Amino acid sequence: MIPFDFEYHRPASVREAAVVYRQLEEAGKAPVWYGGGSELISMARVGNMGFGAVIDLKSIPDCRLLDNSGDEVHLGAGLTLDEIRRSEKFPLLGQTAGRIADHTMQCKITLGGNLASTIIYREAALPLLLGDATITTGGEKGIKRYRIRDIFRDRLQLPKREFIVSTSVARQYAEAPYFHIKKTKNEKIDYPLITTTALIANGYLRIAFSGLAAYPVRDEVVEAILNDQSIDFERRAEGAAAALAGILLEDMNGSSAYRRFVLKNTLVSILESIKDAQVPCIR
Amino acid sequence: MSKTGIGVPVIRKEAASKVTGEAKYTADFLEPGTLTAQLVTSTCAHGVIAGIDTSAAAGVPGVRAILTGESCPELCGAILKDRPPLARGKVRYYGEPVALVVAEDAFLAAKAASLIKVSYEPLPVVHGPGQALEPGAPLIHEGLGAYKRIVADVYPEPGTNVCHREKVRKGDVEKGFSECAVILEARFKLPQSDHIAMETRAATASISADGTVFIRTSSQAPFEVRKMLSELYQIDEGKIIVEVPMVGGGFGGKAPVNLEILAYLASRAAGGRPVRLVNTREADMVSSPCRMGLEATLKLGATEDGILKAAEMTFLIDAGGYADIGPRLAKAIAVGCTGPYHIENVSCDSLCVYTNHPYVTSFRGFGHASVTFCIERALDKLARKLRLDPARLRYKNALMPGQTSPTQVKITASNCGNLQACIERVKGLVNWEEGDRLDMGGGKIRAKGIAAFWKTSNSPPDAASGAFISFNKDGSVNLNVGCVEIGPMMKTTAAQILSEALKMDISRIHVNMDVNTRYTPYHWKTVASMTTYMIGRAVLRAAEDVTDQLKSMAAVVMKCAPEDLDIGDERVFLRSDPSVFKSFRDLVHGYHYENGNALYGQMLGRGGFIMTDLNFLDRETGKGKPGPYWTVGAQAVEVIYDTVAHTYRLTKAATVIDAGKVLNPAMAEGLVKGGMCMGLGLGSREHFQYDPAGRVLDTSLRTYKVMHFGQTPEYLVAFVETPFVEGPYGARGLAEHGIVGIPAALGNALSVACGAELDELPLLPEKIWMAKTGGRL
Repeated sequence: MIPFDFEYHRPASVREAAVVYRQLEEAGKAPVWYGGGSELISMARVGNMGFGAVIDLKSIPDCRLLDNSGDEVHLGAGLTLDEIRRSEKFPLLGQTAGRIADHTMQCKITLGGNLASTIIYREAALPLLLGDATITTGGEKGIKRYRIRDIFRDRLQLPKREFIVSTSVARQYAEAPYFHIKKTKNEKIDYPLITTTALIANGYLRIAFSGLAAYPVRDEVVEAILNDQSIDFERRAEGAAAALAGILLEDMNGSSAYRRFVLKNTLVSILESIKDAQVPCIR
Repeated sequence: MSKTGIGVPVIRKEAASKVTGEAKYTADFLEPGTLTAQLVTSTCAHGVIAGIDTSAAAGVPGVRAILTGESCPELCGAILKDRPPLARGKVRYYGEPVALVVAEDAFLAAKAASLIKVSYEPLPVVHGPGQALEPGAPLIHEGLGAYKRIVADVYPEPGTNVCHREKVRKGDVEKGFSECAVILEARFKLPQSDHIAMETRAATASISADGTVFIRTSSQAPFEVRKMLSELYQIDEGKIIVEVPMVGGGFGGKAPVNLEILAYLASRAAGGRPVRLVNTREADMVSSPCRMGLEATLKLGATEDGILKAAEMTFLIDAGGYADIGPRLAKAIAVGCTGPYHIENVSCDSLCVYTNHPYVTSFRGFGHASVTFCIERALDKLARKLRLDPARLRYKNALMPGQTSPTQVKITASNCGNLQACIERVKGLVNWEEGDRLDMGGGKIRAKGIAAFWKTSNSPPDAASGAFISFNKDGSVNLNVGCVEIGPMMKTTAAQILSEALKMDISRIHVNMDVNTRYTPYHWKTVASMTTYMIGRAVLRAAEDVTDQLKSMAAVVMKCAPEDLDIGDERVFLRSDPSVFKSFRDLVHGYHYENGNALYGQMLGRGGFIMTDLNFLDRETGKGKPGPYWTVGAQAVEVIYDTVAHTYRLTKAATVIDAGKVLNPAMAEGLVKGGMCMGLGLGSREHFQYDPAGRVLDTSLRTYKVMHFGQTPEYLVAFVETPFVEGPYGARGLAEHGIVGIPAALGNALSVACGAELDELPLLPEKIWMAKTGGRL
């Protein structure tokens, strides 16, 4: 039971959403954007979040975009994780989405909701970071486009009153050879101990992690170490793990020392797969 | 599928209602005008309640009552009265109920509850039973000595955190160890966890104008609810009606009286109006009682050829903030401390210890999965020291008729079954002879672990049950028994036993799915895997009663001697010529002559049962008989272990139980598989974690992980049948047992696989990595 009253709004266009947001804000309703609702409901029922209104974005056609007819794959923020997985338009994102929570939740959680999550994992961001995605937002000033690295620093940092409409990734990245390795504490359906995603773009390994630190991580220094052909895999993996050692999470899923062990093993296995040309690597 | 008798698969009576979703559970009964109660629970694990501000909540329209500890001065408890229904003065665990709001609907109750402000002055926190016993440890119950004891055999130690101590002294331990060639010492640590029944606990209460209290609850112990409310609030038992519909899983968690008291208090505060209280998953996990944790130290001694000679053990139960059934858990562990093995010299101290963790209650296996982990892990270590096959070590030491249990009960084939046969059979199921550690190449090891177990009950020595039989005019039967249908088809089993006794089609036997303490014959509790035995015996006696009545009545009508008659297929017939008969339908509602005369009234059958030869255990030595019989078994788990990542996959789990007699093979197999699944969950992932202030971190299923269906291994189940002479058709209980040895077998398999000793649960890859490498990268 959510122990407070709130309004529910379902605008039909980006413009209407922006207007409704402003009106609710002015009325002191503290509105929040609403995707699948799984996080808002879980947080609100235990008193960890309050709001006076929710604005459901799933009826806005732009948020339901699903298109790869041109050079880019466009995915609406209102698509569910399950829809993204089944679309097969961006296989790495699909696989990542297919390992977030369980299938019931994958049919609720939206891409936009996962990116904007207050829970630290935001695994859907990893493939987008690797693919240098463009994030299209809506708001009072209409549609805006951002490079993901400019607005996703640790977490989504959109200007107030803006919401994600869709994401776009060049097809060369969306269709690139990739890795997705999710390690959990022990139970398969769980938050990540470390989720590692990687893709190979123009012969260069790009890599990003969730669960490793208190936020999703893609790090150029780490990528440079892993791509350094002058040293062997073991040392590259050790070097990358050492470079990340300072930000390793220590929590109920695992110690930072254990994460470092798992990280290094994961990196070695990826590097060995590349050598053996076992890419794209499923899971 | 056969329609009559035992030993054949029978579909559960409530199958159709369950698969269609028609079955109703406590929270499904929504009566107009019912108020909703909502708990406010402690955010502090140990602290003085400095103040509770209810003013804002009281101002919410529709709020009918707000209760705090000050509104209910009584203390409750099944063994020791140490627990206020709502915390008073101080809180002793995170999640403890501190206030209760009663409002017109669930939203208003939740809203008002969110407005109640409780302030605490934190006290030092006791994080585990070992710490609780250290000199100078903070006292959790300052008034321990003043608590009222409900039973004679509970021994709290005032001025300490020891709630109860159970002792076993058998033989001469010192002498025993002096005869040993090999001595093994080990320490074990097992966490608290939770039942996670699909249906969270729920209760409704109302008080009618004449003072009759009506409780509907999701409980394994409706008669215990009646008894406790009667005692606590001086209400005649007859003026309390407790009704239990189908229950969505209990696993021991619904045996204690918990929400019923709060629902009663809420209704009383609201002028007797119906009030419902339904646990959220979070409250069900930490506010209501959970599963015990354990810290144990074991010392085992054996001769060179592997004969166990002596055992010295200390078990410290992490009982949490209140006693509940904890003292009985300590007793159960002491009673079964050696496992199903013959050890002449035993010294065991089993302590129920207060901590600032959520309080604990019965959980499937009643402490046995915990004690079995310790003893069975220790045996594997000992086997390695002795260079003996671990299965062989168990086989050699298996308790045999003529030997005695730790509490000096004489073992017979009837009361203990055949463990050696179980061990041999389980070895076959998992192909033990191929070896317990096989290198599959590619850094993968296939490994197996074995464990044996035994379990008896620790009921009151006078636990009782009963059965009523009535007939419909068409000759079909209505059976009325007091067990609760919590999942393992006890009602159907009762009907199956009656079907065998009356030699009639089970589909013509109708059995009550609910329990109502006003109409249903008394049954102690649906716990301890004792239901088949207790209800079964009561049903057999009731069957005998109606059989005698049918025969003596038919004898008059048929003009013959009763002993010349037999029954079957709803007929009473002449032994010498079965074609001469009277149908049940012509007898059970009186016999009607053609001229209109009638004889006898409706036929009613009854059967009562009470445990007969159990007794209290001696305080100093533990000597005494705790339960009517043991169920023994052997289990094995096979894993595929990754030597680099220290992760593993569960590939096989096997159980062989000496069932005495398998009444319903499909049910028995399903129950054992379910038990193994829970055991694998305990072994591999389930545990409560706490922050430094003692607050439980994993209070929801987002972070507390149970086994998912897709991750279960291949299950192998077989039975041995050594009759338990006093049981219905020789049957022993087996409802809990699938769980008991599984965490141990998994621990043994993984210890073999990784080559390190794994003595803590759950067996997380991180723990294996730590044990194996000491934390090396």
